[in-house]
Amino acid sequence: MRLRKKKKQTAEITTASLPDIVFLLLFFFMVSATIQPKDEQVKYKSPSAQAITSIKQKTLVREIVIGQPKNTDYGVEDVVTVDNRIIQPAQLTQWAMEQKESLPEAYRDQMIIVIKADEYVNMGLIIDVQEELKKANARKVVYRALPETTTL
Amino acid sequence: MRLKTRTIQEINTGSMADIAFLLLIFFLVSTTILQEKGLSLKLSPPPEDQTVAEIHDRNLFKIQINSNNQYLIEDAVRGDLKGLREEVKAFILNKSNDPNLSISPLKATISIKVNRGTHYKYFIEALDEVKEAYYEIYAERVGMSSHDYRQLDLSKATHKLLYEKGKEGVPMNISIAQPD
Repeated sequence: MRLRKKKKQTAEITTASLPDIVFLLLFFFMVSATIQPKDEQVKYKSPSAQAITSIKQKTLVREIVIGQPKNTDYGVEDVVTVDNRIIQPAQLTQWAMEQKESLPEAYRDQMIIVIKADEYVNMGLIIDVQEELKKANARKVVYRALPETTTL
Repeated sequence: MRLKTRTIQEINTGSMADIAFLLLIFFLVSTTILQEKGLSLKLSPPPEDQTVAEIHDRNLFKIQINSNNQYLIEDAVRGDLKGLREEVKAFILNKSNDPNLSISPLKATISIKVNRGTHYKYFIEALDEVKEAYYEIYAERVGMSSHDYRQLDLSKATHKLLYEKGKEGVPMNISIAQPD
């Protein structure tokens, strides 16, 4: 009699594997989130420099990437891209204005534009970009550069 | 005897904390790696708001780069930028009161003028030298190395004080001139 009663106990589902599943999901999201912005339209290799400083306030950063398009359908001339789409330099004022709007009001004047350009881009294009940024009063720029590997 | 075998097996969750920490560390490291680094510069205001400032010739240090990526520094043709940093430093500080160098660090302006055909790399090289010259001046004034000075964390009061002290009276006047 006693033995039979024991058999009636409720079966429990083990939740031990739940954390594993959650972590797996987490990893998936992490990986997909970091790969996405790297899918750039242009090829570029940043020049190296010594007097580099790092930007602390990442939320204020907006990027402009300049280089040769990866897809040859867009030609071989250097192009300006923002948010992975190609735009004309003349449209940059508009773009910079929009980006400013997306920031909280107190930080609008502190927006930092990071210019990621290829080593062999002509300065004419960079100057044009800068002129457009000046029009939008987005005057804080950072020329992205890599730290020099050779030390003096 | 039989009852003994029926005990519920518990899974040890003690290692969960370790896993969570591992993830935390991973995120911490990866976010610092992705930090943006580069040469910062404040562009001049748009032409209509510009106040025309007369800069005396002696207060202007001219660096020009042509479309063949050759440098013209203070009207002398140069093949490379060797020694530019020292020249810029001497120009800004003018310790010997040379009449050909700047009146004071406040007035000293470094002008970089490029051609439309100049390659970006060469412009960055010149800008880098000029910026490094300034950072070396700042760092020297607070007794640090230029590298450490650039690493100062402005959100910390003690660091900010040092930063301000180094910078005081020596504004970074770098002008990017329009190509003709």
